[in-house]
Amino acid sequence: MTEPAVAVRSLTKVFPIPFRRTGLVAVRELDLEVAEGQVYGLLGPNGSGKSTTLKVILGLVAPTSGQTKIFGRDSREVRSREGVGFLPESPYFYRHLTGKETLHFYGKLSGLRGEGLNRQVENLLDLVGLQSARDRRLGGYSKGMLQRIGLAQALIREPKLVVLDEPTAGVDPEGSHEIRNLILDLKRRGITVLLSSHLLAQVQQICDRVGILARGVLVREGRVDDLLTIENQTELILENASPEIVAEISALLARSSTRLVEQRQPQNTLEGVFLEATRSQPRK
Amino acid sequence: MDAAAHRIFSAGRIAAITGNTFTALVRLKVFYFVLLFALLLIASSVVVGQLGIQEEFQILKDVSLGAMSVFTSLLAIVATAQLLPRDIEERTIYTILAKPVPRYEYLIGKLAGVLLLLALSLLAMSVCFFVLLFVREEILASDTARQMAGLPPAQIEEALRSLRASAFNSNLVPGIVLIFLKASLLASLTLFISTFATSNLFTIVVMVFIYFIGHLQATARAFWLQTHGGSWFARALLGLVALVFPDLQLFNLVDDIVAGTAIPLGLFTRTAVLGCVYTSVYLFFAWIAFHGKEL
Repeated sequence: MTEPAVAVRSLTKVFPIPFRRTGLVAVRELDLEVAEGQVYGLLGPNGSGKSTTLKVILGLVAPTSGQTKIFGRDSREVRSREGVGFLPESPYFYRHLTGKETLHFYGKLSGLRGEGLNRQVENLLDLVGLQSARDRRLGGYSKGMLQRIGLAQALIREPKLVVLDEPTAGVDPEGSHEIRNLILDLKRRGITVLLSSHLLAQVQQICDRVGILARGVLVREGRVDDLLTIENQTELILENASPEIVAEISALLARSSTRLVEQRQPQNTLEGVFLEATRSQPRK
Repeated sequence: MDAAAHRIFSAGRIAAITGNTFTALVRLKVFYFVLLFALLLIASSVVVGQLGIQEEFQILKDVSLGAMSVFTSLLAIVATAQLLPRDIEERTIYTILAKPVPRYEYLIGKLAGVLLLLALSLLAMSVCFFVLLFVREEILASDTARQMAGLPPAQIEEALRSLRASAFNSNLVPGIVLIFLKASLLASLTLFISTFATSNLFTIVVMVFIYFIGHLQATARAFWLQTHGGSWFARALLGLVALVFPDLQLFNLVDDIVAGTAIPLGLFTRTAVLGCVYTSVYLFFAWIAFHGKEL
């Protein structure tokens, strides 16, 4: 039996509060599993324990009780992070380094050297569309560019698992769309992705499975399709339907015991309209 | 892919962190203080130009070595104090420690970056200092030869030999090495304090206190032992103080150097080993405080 990419068992994390006997419970008795190759979304309001859970998984914070594993290896072992890439929420990185120097730095930390490292840096600059800004210092990067270089550093050693904490926070719709496409590309390449996000529509589009946290407790968990499907309802979307056809369907429904809940014209999303309108403009 | 299998200790990873720390400090333009040192040297050489030859070189060495010691110590404290808090505040530490990088490698890399900066700064200051000594020596030698023209060559030769001996002596080099070791010790202690400090300011203030206590404790110890006697309790207490607050006066051999007295090899070796031990022990304490720190 293959090990899951991420396994969290009975995880509880309590942060002590000075001069108080009881601490702040950030995560309580959390159990979850992310299968290899899956895109898993961790959802929840601010302070629900998403970032704490990710930090425990990455060994940055120690669990109060319970255990987390990455591909079967305890998160507290440094080796567990060998095949992992991480993008924290709103990262700044070293502002004095250029984009290329940043990737070289993280590549060396990951054990890459020489020609292999140079090749990987070039590939990643191409992948995240930052070739033209490669020699600019990160101090001059926009938020979206920082997010993209952050994603590139997370991918520097072809990880098996990528952990993204709010990957599109503060990024404009176009940047957000690009990051979403990059995540889908990772999925196509069989890379496991564990992400936390506030943007429910985006999570819905890219995640196979989601977990919803509220006050440190996992309140819902499952496949996106399963969670969203309303079992006793059916949606028909018709194209070029004449009023007569619609009237006929309505009459048919009226004769049966089926209740017509809603009849409306499907709408585009605001993101779709925005992207369509802005894509014609040349990029900086 | 050209990637090495994970090792529990990697000189390559440490070198990457060292290089990055050094580059960050250089790009923050901390080297500007070397210019300040050069200006101080030029100013002091103008002032001491009015004095006799012996006094001139003594004061030049005194001022230069004193300034090198203060500047290097100050740089060690200020440069190190902001390393960890900045990485935590800007969340860059997450991206580093989320890679297979043990925390001790991170600390060693950070400290090594500062030590590299200190070494190069001290080298630059030493070059300025030696160049000034050489220039003053040449000017004074030619003045002396001109003033003594007509006197027996042996007398001129003796005067020039005496002048050159008071300008440069090989004791300067071990003195500068000890200045570096003192700064290394301070950098390591600053790194330790910064692992649990709440702000840069706190770290710097604590370190300034330690700096003064470190310089004054030898005098205070001698006074205490003189007035209270050398009971075992007093000695144990003073030993504990010496462990927590390094005796920085031990590294201060400027008076001997200025006077031209040779530093005995035994004393130099003992002091150098002490500096290395203090640096290593504080680095170890830093790791103890940092390895379980919640980020």
